[in-house]
Amino acid sequence: MTRTTSGPNIRPNRGYGRWTPFWFLAPAVFTLFIIGIYPTIFALVTSFRRYNIARPRDGFPFVGLENYTSVLTDGTFWASLFLTAKFYITVLPVEIVLGLVIALLLHKTGMGFLKSLARVTLVVPLATTYAVVGLIGRLIFNRDFGVANWFLDALGVGGLDWLGSQAGAFAAIVIMDIWQWTPFCALIFLAGLSMVPGEIEEAARLETSSKWSLLKHVQLPYLMPGLTALLILRSADVLKLFDMVFVMTRGGPGSATDLVSVYIQRVGFRVFDLGTASAQAILLLVITILLSRLYIRVLYKEVN
Amino acid sequence: MKRLLRICASVLALASASAVMPHAAHADWLEDAAKPLKGTQISGIFLDRPGYRAIIKLLPEFEKKTGIKVNYEIVPYENTREKEVLNFTSQGDITMALVDLVWIGEFAENGWIEPIEKFTKDKSITDPNLKLDGFFPLLLDAFGSWGGKTYGLPFDNYSGLLFYNSCKLKEAGFDKPPATWDEVMNVYGPKLTDASKNQYAFALQSLRGETQSADSFMRFLWPFGGSLLDKQFKSNLMSKESQAGLNFRQALMKYMPPGIVSFDHAEAVNALAQGQVAMITEWSAFYGTLVDPATSKLGDCLAVAPEPAGPAGRLPALGGFSLAVASQASDAQKKATWLFIQWATSEAIAKDYVEAGGVSGRMSIYQDPAIKAKYKFVEPMVASWQKGVPEFRPRFPAWPAISEVVAEWGSKMMLGQVSVEAGSKEIGTRMEDILKKEGYYDGKKKLLQ
Repeated sequence: MTRTTSGPNIRPNRGYGRWTPFWFLAPAVFTLFIIGIYPTIFALVTSFRRYNIARPRDGFPFVGLENYTSVLTDGTFWASLFLTAKFYITVLPVEIVLGLVIALLLHKTGMGFLKSLARVTLVVPLATTYAVVGLIGRLIFNRDFGVANWFLDALGVGGLDWLGSQAGAFAAIVIMDIWQWTPFCALIFLAGLSMVPGEIEEAARLETSSKWSLLKHVQLPYLMPGLTALLILRSADVLKLFDMVFVMTRGGPGSATDLVSVYIQRVGFRVFDLGTASAQAILLLVITILLSRLYIRVLYKEVN
Repeated sequence: MKRLLRICASVLALASASAVMPHAAHADWLEDAAKPLKGTQISGIFLDRPGYRAIIKLLPEFEKKTGIKVNYEIVPYENTREKEVLNFTSQGDITMALVDLVWIGEFAENGWIEPIEKFTKDKSITDPNLKLDGFFPLLLDAFGSWGGKTYGLPFDNYSGLLFYNSCKLKEAGFDKPPATWDEVMNVYGPKLTDASKNQYAFALQSLRGETQSADSFMRFLWPFGGSLLDKQFKSNLMSKESQAGLNFRQALMKYMPPGIVSFDHAEAVNALAQGQVAMITEWSAFYGTLVDPATSKLGDCLAVAPEPAGPAGRLPALGGFSLAVASQASDAQKKATWLFIQWATSEAIAKDYVEAGGVSGRMSIYQDPAIKAKYKFVEPMVASWQKGVPEFRPRFPAWPAISEVVAEWGSKMMLGQVSVEAGSKEIGTRMEDILKKEGYYDGKKKLLQ
């Protein structure tokens, strides 16, 4: 018996049907729904209810926009939001500039072993838990035996009362954030620099000896997508920064380090007013989305 | 003669038997009561503090005797209430509630803990030597009772005490500690402070949080005749006495190390232990840290006295925890938990508990001359527990929200960011808002604190 074929010998896959892609995607979508979307919907619903779990006998009735009204007229919420904005615009430029400098240094040719070592070292602050960063911060900025004052003494400047004064405590959390997140910026920029095609960079180097021109006209376009991602991630991070600040200062002294996430945690898990805390969290989510859209519109450009 | 000898021998045997009887009876009682509960698992939260380390050391004895397994999780104090409330509201696995005195109102009013009368009715699970009147009345009242009912038995018990460096005081010409706050300010403060040598008379732990509200702010209200609330539950902070106490705290800061608003318990204890300050007012539980050569340089220089008195007398800080049976537990777990609570707070193990580093709430143990001689903190602590204010911090459910307000504005006062008067007004307004929402002003809730 002979068998004739016309065209390529393609065997139809009997297991593949219209619904096959659905089954491949379903676990991921389901997981995302459970861990991401459901809690957000729950928080949204909770934000319209009086929901204090420490007062179960009062029930959890719907109260419309009452929680939002109370948040928007709460002076402490606005004060903590402005403080968070101040923190953000203080730490971010420093992290970006330092990160870029580190990335450019690591992008240079030569000294392979030291550069590999530096790359590994960059991961250490990132891998450190926020609470541990807070504990380290408490030790570093201790007035009597902290290394920060030891360093200032060595420079001939008197020791500062870091955690006991308002300006000092704010500076301390800023420094710890810069310590932890500058390496992240450096790694993002380093990845961007490695995307620059070698021949283009070499050609540009032949054209100009100015490093600034090279950075501005050749490397920067490749860094912009990374910078956009970085701004989005850091905005979300700063808005939810809690552990490090809580361990270092608990939001004090006074309200010097009372960032919005510390305030929300207090409302949610000390007072257990989850309705108000959810309304605050939803407002933060809206701010994060708006900022992200803004960054993408202004900064993000694909490199051709 | 033989008969006489026999009688003497019988009398001796009886006497020695009766001497060991309470202990033996206690042991037998516990074993008998636990027989039907063998294999039951109970769970609770412990703190990383000496009283809990002490009971953990003794735990194998209880488990061996009863066959009940005690599971515990060690949690930092700041997270304990959050963890327990979430557990109770989600029908979790905690069978034994650890109740700080300021949580008793919330836990009891929400029905998360059971009144002990539910168990004491059942003789088969109740210690014949339970003796509730053997606890210091102030402790049983403050830590374990709410609305006239007893819910928990005092387990981890503190009183505020004056810990001081007797060598430093001697060098400055003092042969005894200050008896009043006025002496601290006007006599001891100036002589014991030399900022150029980084030496200060006193440290008051004042970090934002419960440390600021409970250990710093409230400490200067009661001894000066002030209080947080008046009888109608309105703010009493603007009263002459409350203002006097808060202004006194402000003035006393000149004899404290700079940055005192960043001092938590650990920093204050450390400042005394390392010789930076001469005196602190701290919980009795920190005695162990201060006598341990690994953590303290004080050695024999450590001395302990009751907290100084104010114009209204000696009303020291009062704090501590009781253990209560959680309502969400199964019946067997409730019974097993009740057995554990009775055992852990019993007179029978009080001595072992104290020697392992705990502070028992039983009066009898502190009459033991050996205990008195060995632990310097015992006499001042017992003296402090004779008289006190159970509502040193209000124990109603609104306290955590009020504590946050006090913590914020109390530390702003200390920093000079607001005046004592303005800060007190702000706390008063915010506190009354909270109490209004809670229903204290429209008669919905009884004025209990």
